[in-house]
Amino acid sequence: MPHPINPNYQSSPRGIHRRQFLSDVGMGFGGLALGAMLAQDGIVRADAPLLWQPPDGLPHFAPKAKSVIWLFMNGGVSQAESFDPKPELTKYAGKSISDTPHKDVQNPDKLKLARVTVINDANGQQRNKLYPLQVGFRKYGQSGIEMSDWVPHIGSCADDMAVIRSMYTTDDNHGAQTQFHSGRHMLDGEYPTLGAWVHYGLGSINDNLPQFISMGNREYWNAKDGHYLGPAHDAIPIRVDPKNPLDYGKSASGLTEDEQRIGFDLVGKLNSLKATEYPGDPALTARIKAYELAFRMQTSVPQTLNLSAESKGTHEMYGLDDPATRDFGMQMLAARRFVERGVRFIQVQHGAGGAGAWDAHGGLKENHTKNFKAVDKPIAGLLKDLKQRGLLDSTLVIFASEFGRTPGTQGSDGRDHHIYGFSVWMAGGGVQGGIVHGATDEIGFHAVENRHYVTDIHATILHQLGLDSRRLEVPGRKRLDIDHGKAIAEILT
Amino acid sequence: MFLRLTDSQTPSALRHVLLAIVLIVGCGGLPSRAQEVVDYQRQIKPIFAARCYACHGALKQNAKLRLDTAALAIQGGKHGQAIKPGDPVGSALLTRIIATDELDRMPPEGEPLKPAEIAAIRAWISQGAKGPAGEKPERDPQDHWAFKAPVRSAIPKVASAAWSKNPIDAFIAAEHAQRKLTPVPQTDRRLWLRRVSIDLIGLPPTREEMDTFVADQSDDAYDKVVSRLLGSPQYGERWGRHWMDIWRYSDWWGLGAEVRNSQKHIWHWRDWIVESLNADKPYDQMLREMLAADELYPNDMDRLRAGGFLARQYFKFNRTTWLDGAVEHTAKAMLGLTFNCAKCHDHKYDPISHVDYYQLRAFFEPYQVRTDVVDGELDPEKNGIPRGFDSNLKAETYLHLRGDDRNPDKSRAIAAAMPSFLSRETMQIVPVDLPVEAHQPGLRSFVIDTHLKLAEQRVTQAEQALAQAKKTLIEAERVAILAAQAKAKAELEMPKQAAAQATVDAVKKEAKTLLRDDFSVAKPDVWEMRGGNWAYAKGKLSQSQSGATRTAIRYKHAPPTDFEAKLKYIPTGGDMWKSIGIAFDVTEQGHMVTAYLSAYAGGPKSQITYKNNGADVYPPEAAQGRKVDLNKSYEITLRVRGTLMNVLIDGEQSLAYRLPIERKNGHLEISTFDAMAQLVAFELSELAEDVVLSDAASPTAKAKDGPLSVEEAKLMVALAQKALAVATLQSPSIKARAAAQRAQYQQPVPENLNALVAEAVRSERIAAAAQAEENAARAELELAKAVPAKRADAQKKFDASKVALEKSQQAIAAPGGTFTPLVGSLKMFESNLESEASRRAPFPTTSTGRRTALAAWITDVKNPLTARVAVNHIWSRHMGQPLVATVFDFGRKGALPTHPQLLDWLAVELIEQGWSMKHLHRLIVTSQTYRLSSSNLDAAPATRQADPDNHYYWRANPVRMEAQVVRDSLLLLAGELDLTQGGPSIPASSETSRRRSIYFVHSHNEHQKFLSMFDDANVLDCYRRTQSIVPQQALALANSALATSMAQKIAQRLTAANAALSDSDFSRAAFVTVLCAEPNDTEMHAMIQAMAKLSESARLNKRPDPLLHARTSLVHALLNHNDFITIR
Repeated sequence: MPHPINPNYQSSPRGIHRRQFLSDVGMGFGGLALGAMLAQDGIVRADAPLLWQPPDGLPHFAPKAKSVIWLFMNGGVSQAESFDPKPELTKYAGKSISDTPHKDVQNPDKLKLARVTVINDANGQQRNKLYPLQVGFRKYGQSGIEMSDWVPHIGSCADDMAVIRSMYTTDDNHGAQTQFHSGRHMLDGEYPTLGAWVHYGLGSINDNLPQFISMGNREYWNAKDGHYLGPAHDAIPIRVDPKNPLDYGKSASGLTEDEQRIGFDLVGKLNSLKATEYPGDPALTARIKAYELAFRMQTSVPQTLNLSAESKGTHEMYGLDDPATRDFGMQMLAARRFVERGVRFIQVQHGAGGAGAWDAHGGLKENHTKNFKAVDKPIAGLLKDLKQRGLLDSTLVIFASEFGRTPGTQGSDGRDHHIYGFSVWMAGGGVQGGIVHGATDEIGFHAVENRHYVTDIHATILHQLGLDSRRLEVPGRKRLDIDHGKAIAEILT
Repeated sequence: MFLRLTDSQTPSALRHVLLAIVLIVGCGGLPSRAQEVVDYQRQIKPIFAARCYACHGALKQNAKLRLDTAALAIQGGKHGQAIKPGDPVGSALLTRIIATDELDRMPPEGEPLKPAEIAAIRAWISQGAKGPAGEKPERDPQDHWAFKAPVRSAIPKVASAAWSKNPIDAFIAAEHAQRKLTPVPQTDRRLWLRRVSIDLIGLPPTREEMDTFVADQSDDAYDKVVSRLLGSPQYGERWGRHWMDIWRYSDWWGLGAEVRNSQKHIWHWRDWIVESLNADKPYDQMLREMLAADELYPNDMDRLRAGGFLARQYFKFNRTTWLDGAVEHTAKAMLGLTFNCAKCHDHKYDPISHVDYYQLRAFFEPYQVRTDVVDGELDPEKNGIPRGFDSNLKAETYLHLRGDDRNPDKSRAIAAAMPSFLSRETMQIVPVDLPVEAHQPGLRSFVIDTHLKLAEQRVTQAEQALAQAKKTLIEAERVAILAAQAKAKAELEMPKQAAAQATVDAVKKEAKTLLRDDFSVAKPDVWEMRGGNWAYAKGKLSQSQSGATRTAIRYKHAPPTDFEAKLKYIPTGGDMWKSIGIAFDVTEQGHMVTAYLSAYAGGPKSQITYKNNGADVYPPEAAQGRKVDLNKSYEITLRVRGTLMNVLIDGEQSLAYRLPIERKNGHLEISTFDAMAQLVAFELSELAEDVVLSDAASPTAKAKDGPLSVEEAKLMVALAQKALAVATLQSPSIKARAAAQRAQYQQPVPENLNALVAEAVRSERIAAAAQAEENAARAELELAKAVPAKRADAQKKFDASKVALEKSQQAIAAPGGTFTPLVGSLKMFESNLESEASRRAPFPTTSTGRRTALAAWITDVKNPLTARVAVNHIWSRHMGQPLVATVFDFGRKGALPTHPQLLDWLAVELIEQGWSMKHLHRLIVTSQTYRLSSSNLDAAPATRQADPDNHYYWRANPVRMEAQVVRDSLLLLAGELDLTQGGPSIPASSETSRRRSIYFVHSHNEHQKFLSMFDDANVLDCYRRTQSIVPQQALALANSALATSMAQKIAQRLTAANAALSDSDFSRAAFVTVLCAEPNDTEMHAMIQAMAKLSESARLNKRPDPLLHARTSLVHALLNHNDFITIR
């Protein structure tokens, strides 16, 4: 009797592929979600040949970078007072934009970009009266990139940085934090974040450590990264505290390592014995491996976070000797130690509270002074340290926030959310140093030259890691072109 | 991950297709040279199918062109031939796919075809554009299998007797025979028992159940087990959780306290699901109630809980996002259709048009969400049933151009209707006249009763407060006399300073002190250490273990019911909460009340907490934020009289609280939670009768903690009298208003309507005037108590209260015509723009009937999808894989069923058996197919080779436990599981709760941490659970307090059953208990060896009870065994 619906049906060969995949690639931390694969069996049309496989853990083309350190400033950094100084703001301070030569920035056609997802939002409004620069600026490095006086240390790395001054996004509330990470606004639903895609796409480079790490507070953006790729691709939250660095990282009953070892060995032994009763059970094999990894991680994570192993000079370089820079400095130093040990994607969020510490609707000067003080030296320390250790070439560092801040003033001394033009910078990982890419207009309102949506940053990072986002796509989860973005070729070496 | 290829595949996906084909076939690939022969079937047709068929195939024939056969492509359409064989340049198709102008280019959406694809098409045309002889065009979409009603096929004849008893087996066996597959033997009885127990009730069998079943050799042993399980109340919880996944159950979430998604108290819907399943409520009936209980059963409070399905969809900020959720997930969950793909354009694969999407939305357009009052609670913040109801009867639905809600096509309103390919008859939508209690829920008898009951309680409380105030007055007078006497005496006998002290001493009665301990020496006869790391050192008692667990020292004697306890201590550390306090009424059943001080950095505070039904309750009114520093000394004074508690911190009044639960006889403890501390002193006495406790509920709640003057006490009595008067007036007013409100909606209008309204108005004015009197009395008391600096202010308030009183008294004479109707439901904000006033507008008296019509259509026995989709979900959860792999897409792009006749047979069976899900469960789990082993070991090599992924059920599929099952099983095996059912969700952070996991708060923002490690359901979309295997899971099972403490309890239970067990006996018993299987010799050997090592290491580490320690470790290892977390 032929198949009643499909006479051409034949069993797919994917089972073999899957098993082979399991034994060949092995599993990174949180790496291979067998379940995702098993569930993906479901996607095979009974009548179709093998159309799709999960990624094999190898890059699609030769990568330039091995690791990514993603620095994200929650709340929104003022571009004009950091990486895109605009003296015109001071020149026309207090004037309505319509009374200046720059009035065309408020041409309604140009403002159409903004999407209203939250009706009646008090913030995210256009602010008409120009607010003068709250800080001076100067040229840094041989390249002479202009940056503000709030970032003297970062500025000293100017010749290693590619500053992209022509970013834009579409949503002017803090849901844009999610937008920056997944390409879709928080209210659009759930989508995997960039780190999750990287984790999904690439195999492990270190089997003793989690491959996708998150440090610091996440404010507005969802705490889960994997979404439809599965929870196996969520970032593992890490605390820079060797005593308690990760959830369930140590025995709640106070077992010693030796005692645990006997237990783990027994589990491994019994599982292996079971495998003779259930030959060829891929889940059993995967679980044996997961236990081995788990056991190793218990020691490797705290070891990595043991910052006291670093020299005094290194501590100073990251600002660990100063209470103002210590917390973020510790995260930066930990990030370098993770990179050294082959961790793929490390995201560090800075700025807790409210919608993020950088959200300077009022008191911008005080706010940004304090926040830049906290991150400037540690970030520069990280860049210099990576460089001196020869790691910067293979490590891509990105500095971003969900949007910029308005050229106009909010209240008496703040700036509102601004989506039409803001800055992001990158360093290392095959990105050119000492360059500025793109530009905003003279008051930093609109990105006018080489405009880039947030997913272009994703595309650039994926490109440097040797990944093509279209080849990572999951059947049934069609992504829009804008989700993929386009790599910014001009800034690459 | 499932198939949802409903939009056109992107070219990159197509590239994968081609790539994959190349990989599989292992030859050729795309032609690099034109002369290579292009294979139409392999290389060309997939491109057309992916990129062209949606508009030029069976679904649509734009420009009258079809490309689904080579011949049709050559034949062309309105614009002539699309392909001229041998002439690529003259072929319009090629011209269009290579056009650079986006307006001309085909396909119009998505990226252009890739150069390699274009090259292949060009070469194919050059080579004559040949297709196979007799190539058939795509079939009419209406012919798609899932769009035609299921038909019960004849049950196949099967030779084997074992495989012909159950129709399921006959279908499965027929397929085995057809494909020459040999099924493996049955699984071990114990493993079957474990499988079926976890499948049906989500819990593994106990040892007793195992032994009973293994010993039961009767013919119906298996059936008996199934009957027991299906009759168990735990069945509803197990399958409730499955359906909650599919129906996207979620507790509310938002930002801070603001509800943005789903609703508070949505757990009523969860309880309805559990109860409905236990009662075997027909599946179709469940769907009807979820979609339209408000129209079908407008006053049936039990069924109205089903309206949580609609309430769940709530989203505050965007109505379109909200309704998109309702449309998408109603269609996916109930119909297996991806309607969502037609939001922006016509569906690419199914005959669902862009308009159809909005026609479906129109069913939901009028609905909003409200919370109906439940018996005994009038405050919707505290409890109530969230549900949908038609609020905006006139709301129009418009098509959104390209799916953009800013761009509605207002030229025509779209009416509710189902897509024509599925509804051959016109749907009847009949508006529903609602009974008065449905739109005036304040008139529901239990709501009125609740109003009255609360009014009575208020009277009782006011009476008690008055009695208390009178006592206070007597006491104040007595104290005044004593003081006067003492003063007179002292003035005669001693100098002035001492006189004051003597006055105080004379007043203070000596209460019996039961214990004074400065912790300088251990007192084992007084204190019992419970958990933690308590040690006497340097003349103090310290607790030095941090981490989120409770530790305590317990007073070994029975404490008095009414007592005063004083604890002086120094907090020294802790990871986070740093809570230290005094607990009383501590029972082994988990009852406990604690007053504590927490140095938690995120919000230090004093707090009273109690446990109710296993859940920790932290009443917000029993908390006071206050600064608490480490390494500083604090004194907590706890005074308890009956249910009234007063907490003083360093002698200053901090909390006054009346427990809403009954007192229990229990222990008194000093307890810590995640806190290190030094205890400095403790004192316990009976509570002296003359100690005046502040009462949170009394009108003098804020009264100062000290003796009152006689004048103040008199004013308090006066105030209490006024308060009682107010309370007494409530009932008549409630009754009068209820009568008038009912009369207003009565038809015909009653003759006495005006009189009733007048009485309602009058009663309300009188009550208001009494309230004004109470306010004035309070203001007078405040004035009397005011310190000189505040006197002017207090005088102003008192004057204002007099004016208000006068006004309210005048209002009795001129009462006007309106009264406050009784409220029985509160509408949720439609959006962040809705005002408080508009949400309180009266509800419409009719409902559109649209959702009733939708429900009727979905549950119509002629609907080809509903039963099939349900059967597939149920089958999948029993058998580890669905019959239709794309569980929410039964459309043309979805997977074909592996066993279409079986699927249809089961669908018809479900319908004809009255949609009884229990019937279906029984049929499946009593089948031979369900009994197969999950091992490949005895499988015939040919079978393994022919069907390596077991699509045809020649063995069972091992499945990983869902998150909830992992936790519940741990608790059950340890004898710790609390089987209390229903009620409000338990906070996700409550790690010590022993309730079933289904009861934890589960929302987008909040997850129970342990559960989230094991792929807990995503509340946004979870038609199948993921089954990942990651090291975090190993860490959670290896290191969590839950797993380790349950391991110990299991070891203790096994030891308690037989203390004299040898290592070997213990290992065997543990293995059987945890894994439900007998260990073989090598496994025994491994365990005995490990036991020896564990015992040795326990001795080396000086563990208090080395044997128990070793046994715990062994059990713990077994809990980490693959076959614990796997359902074999």
